[in-house]
Amino acid sequence: MIRITHQREKCIGCNLCVEVARNRWRMSRKDGKSTLVGGEDNKGFYTVLVGDDEWKENKYAADNCPVKIIKLEKV
Amino acid sequence: MTKNTKVELMAPAGSYESLAAAIKAGADSVYFGIEQLNMRARSTNNFTIDDLSKIHEICISNNVKTYLTLNTILYDHDISLMKKIIVAVKESKIDAVIASDYAVFNQAKNEGVKIHISTQANVSNIDSVEFFAQFSDVVVLARELTLKQVESIVKEIKRRKIKGVSGGLMRVEIFAHGALCMAVSGKCYLSLHSNYASANRGACVQNCRKSYVVTDKEDGVEFEIDNEYIMSAKDLCTIDFLDKVIQTGVNVLKIEGRGRSADYVYTTIQCYREAVDSIADGTYSQEKVIGWKERLSTVFNRGFWDGYYLGKSMGEWNDEYGSKATKKKIYIAKGLKYYEDAKVGEFKMESHSITLGDEVMVIGPTTGVIQTFVDELRINNNQTDSVKKGDVFTLPLLQKLRPSDKLYKLVDAQ
Repeated sequence: MIRITHQREKCIGCNLCVEVARNRWRMSRKDGKSTLVGGEDNKGFYTVLVGDDEWKENKYAADNCPVKIIKLEKV
Repeated sequence: MTKNTKVELMAPAGSYESLAAAIKAGADSVYFGIEQLNMRARSTNNFTIDDLSKIHEICISNNVKTYLTLNTILYDHDISLMKKIIVAVKESKIDAVIASDYAVFNQAKNEGVKIHISTQANVSNIDSVEFFAQFSDVVVLARELTLKQVESIVKEIKRRKIKGVSGGLMRVEIFAHGALCMAVSGKCYLSLHSNYASANRGACVQNCRKSYVVTDKEDGVEFEIDNEYIMSAKDLCTIDFLDKVIQTGVNVLKIEGRGRSADYVYTTIQCYREAVDSIADGTYSQEKVIGWKERLSTVFNRGFWDGYYLGKSMGEWNDEYGSKATKKKIYIAKGLKYYEDAKVGEFKMESHSITLGDEVMVIGPTTGVIQTFVDELRINNNQTDSVKKGDVFTLPLLQKLRPSDKLYKLVDAQ
């Protein structure tokens, strides 16, 4: 399994994560920030556990996020 | 200090500290960004929508105008936040929004919020000014124009009687000081290509400020290019020909630097305030220019040049990484208390030391910047020559110290 963490408040809404991992990320039309699909809020840090098959595209999103607010861990 | 009624001096405010510094140094107006839709979205100290009223309150009580930057490229998912910001601007009575996207013009017009055309729109000719006049009152010209071109646009506005939405003649704003892009103001994709960090979403990683080598692919030999940072433009500085700048008839002088510290804002605005005032009262001189340039050199800079205004050279490049500031500040102590009667501030030393004669600076969100020399130090009310880490001490301060303030020591950078 993989744990994805998103520090949502710091998102600048550039759309990169949505472009590269479109099943896991959605752009909110409410506040223009990216939303982690299935993520649960823990004091501003959204987390979700997903299968290993999602590693590649989300790792790409994490590595290339311009504000470095996406974290991936194998659990 | 006297405020010049003709030319407006606009200061960057990336934080409450910088805002207070700008006001104290004599700015006529300030510009700042909130949330993620501004060209410094990457900065850690952006204001939020909830700060708007407080910023307005601080500025109105100091007779300073407020402008909000909302000038990134906007996507569909940004529209709702943009509209929310425009409504908040209206409610908090911010004077205008600096924008470059047509969606913002439209929304602002609907809400009756004033618009300044951002330099991101790269307005470089009079017909563009005429076009943008239907949405705005102020146009920030492209930074790549010469003073002659600026002057011609200003004259033509008067001749054609080009009026903005508020009914007055269109006002012209230009950048007077600060960082320049290697590309036409912000129209740069380097950062996006290398780091997926779009400069046009305020996330520029500043590739142009680094040094590069050219590699011969055949044998792998690397060459440093002239030992220069070939893409890193020096900083714009107009203080030595500010009289000529003002003669063009521009209405607003903008100082770049929302990502800069409060002491940068304080020193820069103070120098330009003095320069603008001295031009107005006829005392502008080369001796003064030398003094201002010396002071401007003490804070962050990449070396100075006259930008494109004088139309001579095609670009001057920096020859080293980072700042050429002649002074740097070291954090030493936190503010504790101010004794109004004795006019002394009490601090707790947290690192390094200070001795009599040192130059120090207090910076805080309400205080702004206080710069002074240490002419007396006391521990437990006993005079001393120096203070070290851990000591609680007092030093004379003519202005009020607050617990949120920090004390820095100024030292030579080299």
